[in-house]
Amino acid sequence: MSTPARRRLMRDFKRLQEDPPAGVSGAPTDNNIMLWNAVIFGPHDTPFEDGTFKLTIEFTEEYPNKPPTVRFVSKMFHPNVYADGSICLDILQNRWSPTYDVSAILTSIQSLLHDPNPNSPANNEAAQLYRENRREYEKKVAAIVQESWNDDEDDDDVDNDENA
Amino acid sequence: MAEEFVYDPERNYDEATLAQLRDMEKEIADRQNLISNRIAFDKLSEEYAKEDEIYRTKIQGDLKNRYDYVRKTRGDGNCFFRAFGFAYLEKLLTDQTDLKRFKDVAQNSKSELVKLGFPEFTIEDFHETFMEVVGKVENQCSLDELLETFNNQGLSDYIVVYLRLLVSGFLQKEADFYSCFIEGDRSMKEFCNQEVEPMGKESDHIHIIALTNVLGVPVRVEYMDRGDSLRCNQHVFPEDSTPLVTLLYRPGHYDILYT
Repeated sequence: MSTPARRRLMRDFKRLQEDPPAGVSGAPTDNNIMLWNAVIFGPHDTPFEDGTFKLTIEFTEEYPNKPPTVRFVSKMFHPNVYADGSICLDILQNRWSPTYDVSAILTSIQSLLHDPNPNSPANNEAAQLYRENRREYEKKVAAIVQESWNDDEDDDDVDNDENA
Repeated sequence: MAEEFVYDPERNYDEATLAQLRDMEKEIADRQNLISNRIAFDKLSEEYAKEDEIYRTKIQGDLKNRYDYVRKTRGDGNCFFRAFGFAYLEKLLTDQTDLKRFKDVAQNSKSELVKLGFPEFTIEDFHETFMEVVGKVENQCSLDELLETFNNQGLSDYIVVYLRLLVSGFLQKEADFYSCFIEGDRSMKEFCNQEVEPMGKESDHIHIIALTNVLGVPVRVEYMDRGDSLRCNQHVFPEDSTPLVTLLYRPGHYDILYT
């Protein structure tokens, strides 16, 4: 059955294909329009440059009235990303507006990479290094940028790393 | 003694909070339809008798003499918008005098919002659904069908979203005048992003003033508070107009009243 959420997600997908914002991409998984895979390319002139970071976006029937759950699948080192990959970003929580679509979500996360908010840390180590030792922060980020390429070659790597 | 709270930096508290909110919403949803059938006052006052003597006095001694029925709405923070939307469209089903004017206003509202900088792509989706429902009313759908539409969470919320967007658009357009009515040190755009557009944000006077203005649909609100007065206070938005819709307010919630 077509519900407003599913109809809207088809529209979001169409728009993302016809008018893709620079540096992000996303598509529904094969048999489930409510679950998307997305990729954000690390923005230029940031320590994340050249990284290809994978995410999942999980929608409910309440979309777009409620925000989806967005998670990094690729390993991330960022002041506003939790260890489990979930993201602390106001527009995905209490400042969500139904006027946002998938494009807007992905570009907002992209600019969060560029511009972290150290006042609401989800990863204390990253927040502290970002504030106090930018060189070390950039080193740690460079490591996960490298790891993000490995994901591309072998999807299982992520799991293996976590279990190691 | 309550267990001491120990902050765990590895834990995602945002998600825990959101999950708790979802549980609370579900509990309310199981108890109350988005829009109820018409209920006679006797039944309503029975319900209040348990919880509140002052409300019961005001219903028995005042409201009951002036109104016959009430429709209850779900207390989900959207009740003003949903009550207003339903009550007005229900009114149009029986009296189409205002229909053509309203349809024109609603039809043109999308380009107004786009002019104000709202993203056309997403606005369009809400506007289409809103106009479909107005179309149903124009074609004289049954009251049951309208009630069903408003109790379908997806459709019903789309209508609420569109009304919220209209309020946001109006306030931003008239920001010079309305800025002095908003609390805190924030711009009108920030206020709209935080207090108007997100679903579930409760409505204040400023929301009511904006919605009645932008749609040209006057509304009467009966205020039933816990004050000592035996009667409800009423207020008409805008003042000196003839209301097409009457809502019952008790702190934090709006229902619909009928004569």
